[in-house]
Amino acid sequence: MNCKDIEQHIVDFIDGQLATDEGEQIQKHIETCGNCKAFYDETVVLFRAFNDIEEEVPSESLREGFYKLLEEEKQLSNPKIVQLNKQEKEFPWKRAFQVAASIVFLFSGYFLGSHKTKQDANQEIVALQIETNELKESVVLAMIENQSVSKRIQAVNYTEGFEQPDVKILEALIERMQYDGNINVRLAAAEALSEFPESSIVKDAFIEALTTQKNPSLQIAIIQFLVKIQEKRAIAPMKQLLEHSDTPDFVKEQVNDGILQII
Amino acid sequence: MKKLTDEELMLYVSQGNLDAMAHIFERYNKRLYNFYFQMVRDKAICEDMTQTVFYKVMRYRESYKGGQFVSWIFRIARNEFSDYYQNSKKTSRHIDVELVASKSEDSIDKNDNVSHLQEAIKILDKEERELIVLNRFQGLKYSKIAEITGSSEGAVKVKIHRIIKKLRTVYFKTI
Repeated sequence: MNCKDIEQHIVDFIDGQLATDEGEQIQKHIETCGNCKAFYDETVVLFRAFNDIEEEVPSESLREGFYKLLEEEKQLSNPKIVQLNKQEKEFPWKRAFQVAASIVFLFSGYFLGSHKTKQDANQEIVALQIETNELKESVVLAMIENQSVSKRIQAVNYTEGFEQPDVKILEALIERMQYDGNINVRLAAAEALSEFPESSIVKDAFIEALTTQKNPSLQIAIIQFLVKIQEKRAIAPMKQLLEHSDTPDFVKEQVNDGILQII
Repeated sequence: MKKLTDEELMLYVSQGNLDAMAHIFERYNKRLYNFYFQMVRDKAICEDMTQTVFYKVMRYRESYKGGQFVSWIFRIARNEFSDYYQNSKKTSRHIDVELVASKSEDSIDKNDNVSHLQEAIKILDKEERELIVLNRFQGLKYSKIAEITGSSEGAVKVKIHRIIKKLRTVYFKTI
């Protein structure tokens, strides 16, 4: 090993990077060669100077800055996860309440609305029915005085729809039965009145009509009605009819049959 | 976590465990700061560059695919320094001027050997200084320096020996 080799290997020799035998050879050479010994010493001194350089300590702001950056980076890389976790952890009470409240409002609104419209509709229907009846009654009252026979009959027939007709209607009908110039109107009125057997004024009217009416058809209709309702007061005027000479025979037969049925 | 190697820590970081990053910072912040300080004797600039290196490690953590961590982080540090060096040249703030200007104050209470060495280092160019700092201050072996600088181990060894020879000459000439 010559001085040139020493120059090449001196750094690794000092650093202890050489194989044992190589190191030993250099060690021997240095001990014998003055130049190489000096070269070795100088390098050692130089390296010692490197080692003597003290380590610099960065200021605390470096650490602070780093941890700030780290936090920012964590926020940047985890925002989705953080949000998801929050949603899972916390039951959305506020939202649930909102949904529940809206459902309650919806249903209560529906029921309230449907109930109210039902009530309103019922009220309207009742009001309309009352109105219709009133209208019918006024129509009947107006038509019943009409000159035309057929109109009068039509008016009389209208009364069939009434369940509990007004007294005015009944009086109008009674008037038709007693005094109308046309026998057909009188018959129709009698027939219409026979639908209301419970009314006392109707009963009285029939009893009165039995004495005044001369038409046999009408007489028979009156007798049939009075018999049907078992009106005892009718017996006296019926007996009077039997005594009348102008009473037709077939009417008398009807009267006899009727008297028997009433008793 | 403290018992893990640098490589294991960095793999954790690359998989998204950023808490491991704090351990890496504690292990490497002084080292990187001193690397820069031997290159540029300006504390503020050195802290800035050190900070940037850790920021880049975090940002580009997914690009770490194993391998020597020390080589990887020093490659980032070296690139950062190159960027800084280029910028300082453009803005006509020459790095060596700063070095000279700030040198005298912090060498006052150090022994002669150190101030003498630092004077000697001044004559080295950027590349030479980088190699000697990595080798003598950071104690990195030729193979790792080769990884960092993208060179071969043999080439690094030859260069470093040449630099030491140069330093020795200057150091003992001026003593």
